[in-house]
Amino acid sequence: MNRFLDWLDDRSGIRGIVKEALYEKVPGGARWRYVWGSCLTFAFFTQVVTGTLLWMSYSPSAQTAWESVYFIQYEVWGGWFLRGVHHYMAQAMIVLLVLHLMQVMIDGAYKAPRELNFWFGIALLGVTLALSLTGYLLPWDQKGFWATAVATNLIAEVPLIGPILQKIVVGGVEYGHQTITRFFALHAGILPAALIGLVVAHIYLFRKHGIHVKEPRPKKDSYFWPDQILKDGVACLAVMLAVIILTLYFKGAPLGPPADPSNEFPARPEWYFLFLFQLLKYVPAFWGAVIIPLVLGLLILIQPFLGASRKGHQFNIGFWWCLLAGAAGLTFLAFSEDRANTNHGAAVKEAEWQASRVVQIAQEDGIPPAGAVTLLRNDHENRGRRIFAAHCASCHRYNGHDGRGYSVEEDPSAPELAGFASQDWLTKLLNYDHYTSIEYFGGTAFKDGTMAKKVLKKYNKEEQKLLPQVAILLSDQAELPYQESLTDEKRESLMDIFYDDLACIDCHDIDSEGEGSAPDLTGYGSKKWMTDFIINPEHERFYGKKNDRMPAYGRDNKLSPEEIEIVVDWIRLRPAVK
Amino acid sequence: MTKESNIAKESSETTKKCCSEDSRRRFIVVSTITVSAACGLFPLASGITTILDPVKKSTGDQEKVPWTKVAPLGNLPEDGKPAKFEVILEQVKDAWTTYKNVPVGAVYLTRDGDVVTAFNLKCPHLGCAVDYRSKSNDYFCPCHNSTFGLDGSVTDVDSPSPRGLDTMDTKVEAGVVWIRFQQFRPNISDKVPLS
Repeated sequence: MNRFLDWLDDRSGIRGIVKEALYEKVPGGARWRYVWGSCLTFAFFTQVVTGTLLWMSYSPSAQTAWESVYFIQYEVWGGWFLRGVHHYMAQAMIVLLVLHLMQVMIDGAYKAPRELNFWFGIALLGVTLALSLTGYLLPWDQKGFWATAVATNLIAEVPLIGPILQKIVVGGVEYGHQTITRFFALHAGILPAALIGLVVAHIYLFRKHGIHVKEPRPKKDSYFWPDQILKDGVACLAVMLAVIILTLYFKGAPLGPPADPSNEFPARPEWYFLFLFQLLKYVPAFWGAVIIPLVLGLLILIQPFLGASRKGHQFNIGFWWCLLAGAAGLTFLAFSEDRANTNHGAAVKEAEWQASRVVQIAQEDGIPPAGAVTLLRNDHENRGRRIFAAHCASCHRYNGHDGRGYSVEEDPSAPELAGFASQDWLTKLLNYDHYTSIEYFGGTAFKDGTMAKKVLKKYNKEEQKLLPQVAILLSDQAELPYQESLTDEKRESLMDIFYDDLACIDCHDIDSEGEGSAPDLTGYGSKKWMTDFIINPEHERFYGKKNDRMPAYGRDNKLSPEEIEIVVDWIRLRPAVK
Repeated sequence: MTKESNIAKESSETTKKCCSEDSRRRFIVVSTITVSAACGLFPLASGITTILDPVKKSTGDQEKVPWTKVAPLGNLPEDGKPAKFEVILEQVKDAWTTYKNVPVGAVYLTRDGDVVTAFNLKCPHLGCAVDYRSKSNDYFCPCHNSTFGLDGSVTDVDSPSPRGLDTMDTKVEAGVVWIRFQQFRPNISDKVPLS
């Protein structure tokens, strides 16, 4: 071994290099406050390795980016863990950058003769943030897509060249293949190369000037090896453990539903950009994207000179504390505003639902060459709730919301439709108090109609006891997938109540030829009955002229036959949530 | 004073002071190397499984090879002459994409009454497409001149192919020929399915 090392040393001078690297003097002894630079190097090294491993399964195009990330997350052996490590290490890097920067500022290590190295450090901060931003888009999920759209729109705010610059970055006007390929080249090629170059320069200059130590020195001088390296290593180990814990706790990095420009999404950047996001609520985009960063940037660049005097140094430290406090405050505001906004919460839930739904379909049926976004667009479950939200929810509700979980500000003006035609739903309908409540016909003209005032209100106690039986009979006609059908005998006996005891047949037809004055209940709640009803509620079979504001969706071409079928199936699919 | 002599002096001083100082230093060195190694190996360790994934997923389970419709039995010459057919799989999964009705290769089918033999078109030597020569009534590989008889066996001793043409499972149901289409490892004497 020694002979080999001698041979190698003769030809490369490796021993000298290693000694040079390891026996760097640490004036004042090894200290915990010096660990941040090494932690950052470790974090970046992790990102390069895990990024390259991800690269082996990632495919940058609009039809394969989400799909290949799905593949990594759900099908590749240990892929979820790898993604998790890359994702959370990126966040750890931002935290470490701030810690490193603050240590440098507080210790005054940015002042002459280290100005140049301070600027390199600031450049490294910028490159790291750019890496985060570009990486956020690569999974091509709704979150990355919409958040990055905001970021690239801000580029257009740059004077004169803004719109051209935006086109170059996006690769055109619309987001597509070219956006991903460009972002990927930036994320995995240009930016890491720039970062490596800057890090080399940064470390070279750091070694040239040595560690800046505050006088008086706390301990006697020591060396980088092994004392400081041990401290650095332990700190890196702590970072590593934190990343592993986050990865295990959140089961890897999140993956939202596939990017879809036609499917709205509450765009939020990653948490460390939230302060900028919040700032843009208060100031015009031009100020937020150009003026403020420019002024702050210039101020930061001259800080080494300001720091020459004692007052200047104090100003610099104060400046960074203010900046951090401001960013923290804005971040807090962004979080608390979102938490207070119920519609944002619903939108996040809706996105989570879509994400789990698309994964479920992908696992069952596979992903077609056109991409996973088509799975959701063609999914009847997803379309059903969207059609309901768009066309029904302005009057009806579904479990109290709009079908997707969003609350609706106005009171409902038509019946709640979750569990429509089920025994429970009908039992309540046939109770006068419920019938005239806002949950059923309270918002319609029917609350003062014959059924309410002359029938339900007039039943005596004995008759009222029979009403749930009628509910069972009617509900049976709906043939709902979650309810068992009645035996013929039971049906016969219930029919007697309908015909004789309560004489419903006087107005409502059921299995009969005549034309009653109230809606025909033959096949009530079945797919056919609902479809015909939605096509035209003004038909004589249904409300006729008594119809109160329910649009004739089919007759007036407000919904296509396919859309009506989808929404009918969707309403009938499951019982109401209790 | 050079760095080395400085260290040497320092360490000799510590040795003199106390032996526990020496073991303390050894402890530091060992811990440092351990911790550094853990940090150095972590990134690769966190994702090495993803590279090994294809090896893990190779099952070799013959039962999983799907039956695929190839042609009506009536389309095969009754005299036992081979006919070439494209094999179209209903569903092919390539990593994250699932394709429907994909042509994945071709077979020669020969018929003896209701029994059908299927040969993979690929030469077992190095995978060129084999031709049927009606003149000499045999199979011939145009790349390296392997020849095979109608039963698939190697006919010429100079043929570089280490084994005869690869057969696959066949069945005839309701007048339709089904096969389990597979590829095999080239250039070895045993017929080993790729999976």
